[in-house]
Amino acid sequence: MSFEKKLTRLEEIVKNMEGGELSLDDSLKLFEEGIKLSRDCNKELTEAEQKVQKLVGVDANGEPVLEDFQA
Amino acid sequence: MSNENMSSGKGRWDHLLREIPTRKVSSEPSPPSPKPKAAAKAPTKPKPFVPSTRQEPLTQMGQVSFAMPEEPKAAEENIYKVSDINRAIKEQLEGQFSHIWVQGEISNFKAHSSGHFYFSLKDEKSQVNAVMFKGYNSRLKFRPESGMEVVVRGKISVYEPRGNYQVFCEHMEPLGAGALQQAFEQLKAKLKSEGLFDEAIKKPLPDHPKQVAVVTSPTGAAIQDILNVMGRRSRRAQVTVIPARVQGEGAAQEIVRGIELANQVKHFDVLIVGRGGGSIEDLWCFNEEIVARAIAASELPVISAIGHEIDFTISDFVSDRRAPTPSAAAEIVAQSETELHERLRFFSKSLRLLIYQKIRDHKQVVNRLTKTMVNPKKLVEDSIMRLEDYRERLQLSVQKSISTLRLKVQSSQGALKNPKDLLAHQNQRLQSLIKLIHLNIKNRIQQKSQALVSQGQMLDTLSPLRTLDRGYAIVKEGESVIQDINSLKGDSIQVQLRDGTLDAKVTGKHPKEKS
Repeated sequence: MSFEKKLTRLEEIVKNMEGGELSLDDSLKLFEEGIKLSRDCNKELTEAEQKVQKLVGVDANGEPVLEDFQA
Repeated sequence: MSNENMSSGKGRWDHLLREIPTRKVSSEPSPPSPKPKAAAKAPTKPKPFVPSTRQEPLTQMGQVSFAMPEEPKAAEENIYKVSDINRAIKEQLEGQFSHIWVQGEISNFKAHSSGHFYFSLKDEKSQVNAVMFKGYNSRLKFRPESGMEVVVRGKISVYEPRGNYQVFCEHMEPLGAGALQQAFEQLKAKLKSEGLFDEAIKKPLPDHPKQVAVVTSPTGAAIQDILNVMGRRSRRAQVTVIPARVQGEGAAQEIVRGIELANQVKHFDVLIVGRGGGSIEDLWCFNEEIVARAIAASELPVISAIGHEIDFTISDFVSDRRAPTPSAAAEIVAQSETELHERLRFFSKSLRLLIYQKIRDHKQVVNRLTKTMVNPKKLVEDSIMRLEDYRERLQLSVQKSISTLRLKVQSSQGALKNPKDLLAHQNQRLQSLIKLIHLNIKNRIQQKSQALVSQGQMLDTLSPLRTLDRGYAIVKEGESVIQDINSLKGDSIQVQLRDGTLDAKVTGKHPKEKS
């Protein structure tokens, strides 16, 4: 799941729980899912390593040809 | 060149042609028309007038020149052939005016399909034809048009076969606003009229760009600024540099290529195009039409980040978002990541709060239920108390009943003590009852007799005999009372009157006429 989708799902979970009409059991299940999503997202936001690259061209498949960039 | 032009043009030069030979060569002919700025830059040094056909060469400098042929008498050696005079003029003019600046207003401007420009330059008195070939005019930053006041640099060129001359332009600058400013305003107006600046066509920036492409110089200040900000503010976004020269010849083409490349690979979320600060000439490639059009055509949202805050380029107008500086562009990209952090923090916090609240709610319910489950003990106690209460009340009530009954029995026992009195009492009751019966019967007899009398009187009034007293008669045949004449069988009848009966014979019957 992409970061955006995770975040959207997390928002959905919070909204569902705010509704307050869920059973304790369902709430706990959602809570568990939500906590996992928020950990994943947080990891992506804080643990990614910034890597600067240089685009030197496009290969035959239209994929970018990248090199490490030393500024 | 038309004759008219020729003649008007001639007005400017003929004094020179006339004067040069008659003047002392030491006094150099002045350059064409006074051209303050241009003349200073490019002073023209006239060559001596040396028609090739002349037998006698011109006198050298410092010598007194010879006189032009005297008016009426034309010396043989002074008669030119047309081609000779044209060639002489060409050599003279092109030699003398090989590097000139001319100021004037453009008129009759025509851009030929070949790419060459043809036009006239004029002032309030005269005009001169001019041409600017494609090779020169393609370098112009602005588009000349009729009515524009310009300064051109170039030379005089004579077309020998026709004896025409024109200004051969190599460079042109608009007067008033600088050339660059003029070019800027023109392109701006043009692209604006095409709708390329419209807000409606601007693409929204992606909410959370992850892949950020930057078209700029890999060695410039811009990429350093961008990487600094991104390094500080964002970890998630990945920056990819697409190298392009950002000033000088060919920069525009490289920038265009970079923009196209970024769009070609479906890898990026947003594109920053820019460079650090510099002079207007340094930034000029971002005012080039091809760059502006490449930005407008980009499918990737483009953030322009050119120079300093005060610098506005055409690229800034066509981009989807203008960042005042490259650092600011990085801030815009990284800002959304700050928002992501905040949103994520908010959701995590909400999630925890909500689950705690849910658990607390359920705890309260459990507590309530636990409390009601302790109550039965109390209920039993209550019941026992109530039972005791009932038992007491029951005992009291039974005791009360017993004592009442006991009192009744006692009083009954008292009554049984005197049988004689009881008998007398009963007798007395019997006597009074008998009296009551007598009285009753007497009353009833009296009532009946009274009813009999009134009924007799009633009977008397209804009796037929009383009717006979009033003069009526009863007719009978035997025992039957005759009421209808037709009910009579024979003819003997008895008529009963008040005091007796008459035997009579019927002699006729007369039915009553119906009315």
